[in-house]
Amino acid sequence: MIGALWVVVLVALGALAVYGIALSALNRPPDVWTKRVAGAVTALLLVQAVIAAVQVFGGVTLPETSTFLIYLVVSVCVLPIATQFATAEPTRWGGAVVAVGAIATAVAVWRLDGLWAAGA
Amino acid sequence: MPEPASGPAREPVRATSSGPGRVLIAVYGVFALSATARAGVQIATRFSEAPLAYLLSALAGVVYILATIGLAGHGPGARRLAWAAVGFEMVGVLTVGTLTVFDTADFPDDTVWSVFGRGYGFVPLVLPVLGLWWLRHTRPR
Repeated sequence: MIGALWVVVLVALGALAVYGIALSALNRPPDVWTKRVAGAVTALLLVQAVIAAVQVFGGVTLPETSTFLIYLVVSVCVLPIATQFATAEPTRWGGAVVAVGAIATAVAVWRLDGLWAAGA
Repeated sequence: MPEPASGPAREPVRATSSGPGRVLIAVYGVFALSATARAGVQIATRFSEAPLAYLLSALAGVVYILATIGLAGHGPGARRLAWAAVGFEMVGVLTVGTLTVFDTADFPDDTVWSVFGRGYGFVPLVLPVLGLWWLRHTRPR
């Protein structure tokens, strides 16, 4: 885990959640930027997951390795699924769906740090 | 293929999986995933510590999965499934919530429904209320 990247990921997820809620509040369906930003945040999550997985399989020992790895997989998978589901029906509610995905992912990323710190 | 929206005179869609229902399904999906994964890890790694709490976690996970499937599906069968799952969820969170407030001994480890879902920002308490309201709101007339 890299502290700076973790902070960037959380800020990006928070910004995406705010953007999604704003879209719903303004009665606008998800636009092309929703997909682009969600894609960029997913790329960041993937980078973080690869780095953390390499460290875990490279010998870093954690008290709950399996739990950590499950959270790692969840942190990468939820946002793309939510974005797909949000854009499948282009109504004002799509933005809120993206926000739910972003918030759930943020909780998983937050927990990742706790599970990592417990082993350090 | 769903028909594209053709104008303001179009009949409102009464499917549970449309409009704000999609936000509800997204939240249910997240809880289905997190409750099931959590219960899976608990049962696989330390089942003997708190078997009742962990089995309850697994039950909650299954209920969230069924509710998600019911709300996301179409037709009367999916609607019945959603009513049953969300109704069970309502009873479950109220029962477990009340028991855990008054008697902590039987529940040494937290479940999704402990203390009305306090560990999850009380979302587990609000969710079935919204779910039942949404099912009623979209019921065929």
